[in-house]
Amino acid sequence: MSIKELSLREERFTSGHRLCAGCGATIVVRQVLMATEKPVVVCCPTGCLEVSTTIYPSTAWGVPYIHNAFENAAATLSGAESAYRVLMRRGKIDKKDIRFAVFGGDGGTYDIGLQALSGVLERGHRLVYVCYDNQAYMNCLSTSCLIMTENGLKRITEVKEGDKIHAFDQKTHQLVLRRCTGVFDNGIREVYEVETLHHSIKATANHPFLVLKRNGRGRRNTFVWKTLAEIKVGDEVVVLKNLHGGKPFKFNFRKTEKGDYKVNRVNEINIPEYSSPDLMKYLGIYVGDGWVRTEKKETGFALPKNSKARKTLVNLHSKIFGSKIRSDDAYVYVDSVNLARFIGCLGFGQGAKNKKIPGWVFTLPKEEKENFVRGLMLSDGYKIGGSFRYVSASGELLRTLRLLLQTTGFRVGKIHWQKKKKGIENKYFDTEKIKNIRLAGCEPTLDLRVEDEHNFIADGIVVHNTGIQRSSATPLGAWTTTSPVGKVIPGKTQNRKDLTACVAAHNIPYVAQASPSHWRDLVTKAEKAFNAQGPAFLNILAPCPRGWRYPTNQTIRMARLAVETCFWPLYEVENGNWRLTHKPREKKPLVEWLKPQGRFKHLFKPENQHVIEEFQTKVDEDWNSLLKRCQIE
Amino acid sequence: MAKITGKIVAITGNAAVAQGMRQINPDVVAAYPITPQTDIAEEFATFVADGLVDTEYIAVESEHSAMSACLGAAAAGARVMTATSSQGLALMWEILYIASGMRFPIVMTNVNRCLSAPINIHCDHSDSMGARDSGWIQIYSESAQEAYDNIIQAVRIGEDEKVRLPVMVNMDGFIVSHSIERVELLEDESVKNFVGEYKPSFSLLDVEHPVTFGPFDGLGGFYFEHKLAQIEAMERSREVILRIGREFGALSGREYGFFEKYRLDDAEVAVIVLNSAAGTSKHTVDMMRREGHPVGVLKLRIFRPFPTRELCEALRHLRAVAVLDRATSPGTTGPLFGEVKAALYDLGKRPLVVNFIYGLGGREFKPEHIRCAFEALLEISKKGKVEKPLDYLGLKEVEVIS
Ligand code: SF4
Repeated sequence: MSIKELSLREERFTSGHRLCAGCGATIVVRQVLMATEKPVVVCCPTGCLEVSTTIYPSTAWGVPYIHNAFENAAATLSGAESAYRVLMRRGKIDKKDIRFAVFGGDGGTYDIGLQALSGVLERGHRLVYVCYDNQAYMNCLSTSCLIMTENGLKRITEVKEGDKIHAFDQKTHQLVLRRCTGVFDNGIREVYEVETLHHSIKATANHPFLVLKRNGRGRRNTFVWKTLAEIKVGDEVVVLKNLHGGKPFKFNFRKTEKGDYKVNRVNEINIPEYSSPDLMKYLGIYVGDGWVRTEKKETGFALPKNSKARKTLVNLHSKIFGSKIRSDDAYVYVDSVNLARFIGCLGFGQGAKNKKIPGWVFTLPKEEKENFVRGLMLSDGYKIGGSFRYVSASGELLRTLRLLLQTTGFRVGKIHWQKKKKGIENKYFDTEKIKNIRLAGCEPTLDLRVEDEHNFIADGIVVHNTGIQRSSATPLGAWTTTSPVGKVIPGKTQNRKDLTACVAAHNIPYVAQASPSHWRDLVTKAEKAFNAQGPAFLNILAPCPRGWRYPTNQTIRMARLAVETCFWPLYEVENGNWRLTHKPREKKPLVEWLKPQGRFKHLFKPENQHVIEEFQTKVDEDWNSLLKRCQIE
Repeated sequence: MAKITGKIVAITGNAAVAQGMRQINPDVVAAYPITPQTDIAEEFATFVADGLVDTEYIAVESEHSAMSACLGAAAAGARVMTATSSQGLALMWEILYIASGMRFPIVMTNVNRCLSAPINIHCDHSDSMGARDSGWIQIYSESAQEAYDNIIQAVRIGEDEKVRLPVMVNMDGFIVSHSIERVELLEDESVKNFVGEYKPSFSLLDVEHPVTFGPFDGLGGFYFEHKLAQIEAMERSREVILRIGREFGALSGREYGFFEKYRLDDAEVAVIVLNSAAGTSKHTVDMMRREGHPVGVLKLRIFRPFPTRELCEALRHLRAVAVLDRATSPGTTGPLFGEVKAALYDLGKRPLVVNFIYGLGGREFKPEHIRCAFEALLEISKKGKVEKPLDYLGLKEVEVIS
C-alpha cells in the first residue's frame, strides 16, 4: 500500500475537534481508521480524545461512535459487537461487514479499564482495542497544603471555585488576588516533601514551582516554572513573606442573655464587635496559656502570680471586657458563659495539643497580627540572645504560627525572630534555597486552577496550577526522579507496566506495538488487527507536545526517535509468535530521544549523568529480552 | 374475547423469570451471577446452550461490565435484558444513570437482597431503593406469577416510543425467587406477539447514518435539558404502564395497574406494602376482618413513576395508614414512607400516617407482626393522633408474640 492510496481513503475522523495542535492521538486515530475500508464502530472511554471530539452538539466522528464511562469501553463495545452478531443472525439488520474499535488513553486502559479489557479478551469478542499511549498524568498538591486566600488561610480541601486567592504577578512581581476557577481531585498519589530554609510543602513529582533564574551580573534575573522532578537542592523558589494591609475582623457573635432558653442569670460582660490590637494580644496569651470550659462557663489562664503576663492580661481584660476576674496563686479565671462561648467559637481550638491559628487572623492588619504574636510570646515564648523561641505541643499551631510570622515579615526557623538582612525582590515576595527533597509517602492530592496568573501560594510557596504542563510523571519520569535530587528519593525505579505483554498473555490472535512515525508498519498492523478472528490489541505511542514539552511540529520525529532508540520497539505477537517488525539499522543512543523533550531537560545536568546511563541500561535490557523473545540472535 | 390460557406449572420465582426471558427471546443478555439471582443467569444460559433461544449471551466478568455491555448492545439497536441483586446492583450504579440518561429500554430483573455490611444474602429492598433516583422505572412483584407477568410488560413499557427508559422489575430474594409456586405461563407464541419487534430510533450499526452516542456535555451544554426530557418521559410512562397493564389483562386475565387494593374501600385503616409482604398482609386482613376489624391493604406495584394522585384517591377515606418499609435510610424514615406521606400532604382531610420498618436482612415477617401494625393503627384511629411515628417490626429484642 502506498501513501497515495491511503490518502484517497475516506477521512473518518474530521477536523474541528479540540485536541491540541500536534497531538499524537489524532494521528494514531486517523492512521488506524485508514487501515480498513470496512465500516467501523468506535467507542472511547472518558479521556482527552473523548472530551475534545464530541462536544455536544458537534462531533468529529464520521463513524458511529459511543462513549459510556471511564472504565468500561471494552465491555460497552463487546455489547455492541454481540448485538451485531445476533441481529445479523436474526436477519434484523442487513448483512454488512462491520468492525469495532476502542480508542483508549493510557488511564482508561492500563489502570481503571484493565478489568473490562481483560474480560473482553477472555470472552473473545471480535474487536480491536487501540491504546494511544501518551504517558501523561496530571500534577497536584497534597491535601494537607494551606492556601492563602482573601479570607485568610484555608486548607486546600476547603478552597472552592470562585474564592479569591493570592497569586504572584509574573510581570510586576507583586501580590495580586485572583479567582480560583477550579478544584481538581487527583486521588492518592506519591508526594514529595520540599524543604527550604523556612518553608516546606508536599507535592507530586510533576508539580511546577516558580524558580529564580540568575542571569548573571548586570542582567535582570528571571523566573521559570520547574516541576518538582526538575528541581534540585540549591534551586531558589519564590516564597511569600508579607500580605496586604488587612482589616479588623467583625465577629458574628450573639450573647447569651437572661431570658434565653433555660437562662436565669448571666454575668455581665462586653463582647467586642471587631478585633483590635488589644484583643489580639489577649487572644495571643489565651492561645499560649488559656483554656475554656464552656460547660463550666469558665475561661482560665495558667499565669502565676506576679508574672508580667498576668499583669498584662488583667489590664487587657478590664479594658476590653470590663468584667470581674477571679485568681489564685497559679491561675486566673473569668466566670462568664459569654466569654467562654465567644473564645470557643473563634477557632483557636481547645486543649494544648489542638491549638491553632484560625484563617481569619491572617486577614488582620499588621499591627493586630503582631500584637497577637506578642501576646503569644509573652505567655509561652522565651528569649535567647537576639531571638525568641516558641515551643508548643500543637504541631498545627506551630505550622500556622510559622505562616503567620512569615506573612508578617518575620523570618522564622524554629519560630525564631530575626531582623531581615537582604530583601531582594520586594515587600511581598522573597526567594529561598531548597534544602531538601524527600519522598513523603502516598497521600490524597488536589489541585486548583487560578485565573490569569495560573499560580497560587501553597504553604507560603508560589506554585503553578494544573492545566498547562501535562506531567512528566510518566512511568518513565517517575523513574527519572532518581536524580541527585533523588539521593533522597531512593529506589524509585518503577518500571512501566508492560501492558502489551500482559495482553499477549491472554493468548488472543493479534497483539502489536506501533508508532505513527512508521505509518506503513502501523497501518499494516491495524489491518491485521481488523482482520483477526477475535480480539486484537494495538499499543501505539502517541507523543503529546503539551506533556512532553517539544514544539508541536515535532510529533512524528519524537515518535521516530522513540523507535530508533529502541525505547518503543515495533513488534507483533501473532497467534503466540513474537516478531520484531522493524529493527533500526543503527540503534541510536537514548539521549537523542530525551534531549528534545522539555520533560527530560534536568537529566542533562552533569550531576544527572548517571540517571541517563541507568535509563539507557534499562532500555538495552528490555530490547535484548525482546530480541530473545523474537528469536533474533 | 377469547382468552388464551397457558400452561400451569410449579416453579420458583427465578425460574418463572427465566421462562419469561425465554419467551421474550431478547437479542442480547449480559449477566453475572450473584445470589439469589444466580438461577436466572444459569437457567437462561442453559436455554441458550440447548438452543431454546438464539439470544447472544455475554458471560461478563462483573456486573459493571454486564450493564456496560447491555448499554453497548442497546445502542446497537438490540433488545437487551439482564438480572442482578444487591451488591451487583450497587456495582452497576454508575451505569444505571448512564443507561437512563441515554434512554435505552434495558429490562432488568432485580432479585431484592440487602446490601452489606454485615454481609447477608437475604431479602430486603435496600438495593432497589438505593437506585430509586437513577431514572429507571421500578416495578415490584408479590409473587412468581407477578414477576413473570411484569417482565413481559416491562419490555413493552420501556420500549414504548413515548417512554424509552430502562425498567427494573423487583421480586423478593429467596422468599419469591426460591419458593416453588403455581405459575400460569402464557403460550410462547402469545408472548412473542405481545412483545412484538423492537424498533430502535437510532443504532450504532446504522453505518450509513453515523450517530455519536454519549457526547461530552460540559458547562454551557444541555445537561439540564436532557434531564428534563428524561423527567418528561417518566411522566409519559404513567399512561403507558396503565395501557400495557390493560392489554396484558386482556391477554392473560390478569390486569395490572399502579397498585392493588385489597379490602381497602370499606376499610378504616390500612397498610401499604411492596412485594411479598403483601401476601402475609392480605392473609392477616382476612383473619382480622373475621374478628370485625375494618382493615385493608394497598400493595404498591409501581414505585417509579410514583402514582401520587391515584394513591391519594385510594387512601383518602382512611383514618390511619401504616407504610411498611423493607429498607431504611439512617437519619430519616423509610423511603416509601417519606413518599406516601408527602403525597398525602395535599389532601385537605388526610389519614394519619405511621412508618414501620420490617424484614431487614431477610428477617422473617409473620402475620403476628402485621397484626401488631394493625393494632397500632386501630389505636391511632381511636385516639386520633400518632404517638410513635416510626417503629420496627420483628426486631429480636422486641419479638412480638401474640
Ligand atoms: S494534552 Fe497531549 S494527549 Fe491531550 S490533547 Fe493535548 S497533546 Fe493530545
